[in-house]
Amino acid sequence: MPTVVRCWRCQDEHIPQVFCPACEALQPLPPDIDYFTVFGLARDPVLDEQALANTYYDLSRQLHPDLHQTGTAEEQEASLQNTAVLNRAYRTLRDPVQRGQYWLELNGEQLGKENNKVPPDLALLVFEVQEQLAAVREAQSAGTDDARAGLKSELTQVWDDLDDRMQGLQQKLAANFSKWRQADDASDLLSGLKRVLSEMAYLRTLTRDVEKALSIF
Amino acid sequence: MAYTERVIEHYERPRNVGSFGSEEAHVGTGVVGAPECGDVMKLQLKINPQTEVIEDAKFKTFGCGSAIASSSYVTELVKGKTVAEAGEIKNTQIVEELALPPVKIHCSVLAEDAIKAAVADWRGQGTTKKDAA
Ligand code: FES
Ligand SMILES: [Zn+2]
Repeated sequence: MPTVVRCWRCQDEHIPQVFCPACEALQPLPPDIDYFTVFGLARDPVLDEQALANTYYDLSRQLHPDLHQTGTAEEQEASLQNTAVLNRAYRTLRDPVQRGQYWLELNGEQLGKENNKVPPDLALLVFEVQEQLAAVREAQSAGTDDARAGLKSELTQVWDDLDDRMQGLQQKLAANFSKWRQADDASDLLSGLKRVLSEMAYLRTLTRDVEKALSIF
Repeated sequence: MAYTERVIEHYERPRNVGSFGSEEAHVGTGVVGAPECGDVMKLQLKINPQTEVIEDAKFKTFGCGSAIASSSYVTELVKGKTVAEAGEIKNTQIVEELALPPVKIHCSVLAEDAIKAAVADWRGQGTTKKDAA
């Protein structure tokens, strides 16, 4: 990734960003820019999601092609391209699991083989929830209204529990990450981070299944 | 992706689906999951405490056709084997039997892990339970 770029208008040199810090002209983002930099953020898998969303909406508005119709060809082109990059970056970063995986990739790592084991208690949880989902599917076609209502509230409870667990994992990720950043030899911590991330990914799949089942009530 | 005939055969007529009642003794239970696809598998082995021979096996799998076929095949494979013999079963054997393609290897690994987990669970039930029998 280039560490500095030059403004097409005033020739100012700066790290890649959407607007030139010197003359405020819209800048084409380099194609290989990392998603954190798009948002002006440090490369950090733990971030304030609300602030991220706000920045996203602000930037989307400022980049909107309608605003740049009267601009130079460079600006018009940059507004289109940057919007595409911004959307891609936001889709990846807003989700803690994808964000974590992306962060690993930036660090030349991936979840990989060592994490193809699911902790036993988590596997058990997934199994139990899948059994409940199977019961829901059955009740959808054959059950009484009462049975369906009962299952719905059970499933809502399941969703809450999964959500709690996910929040717990996010906190664990944040704690592990700040340790990782301070450590000299971080290989242990990195594998801890990966473990949490893969647990989150697994839980995420399950949460989606539950949401899908809830949506048909 | 096309499933092989053997996978389809097990998938359409899975052997030994279900679970043992919670009151049954000498049952080892393994529940394992694959993070890349979210699939889970439960395998239960009913083991003779004197001979350590696996007398019966049941499974329930929420997952892809290959995972279902792998666990179904495994329940047949382990019956009549001793716990030690079952522990030696490698996923490659499942891959060969079911002719699984490379992308489906992790499904067979899941089945191998399920055997190990069920055996470990049974062993972990400790002397108390076994002595009482
Ligand atoms: S695709 Fe995951 S177990 Fe088969
Ligand atoms: Zn400038």
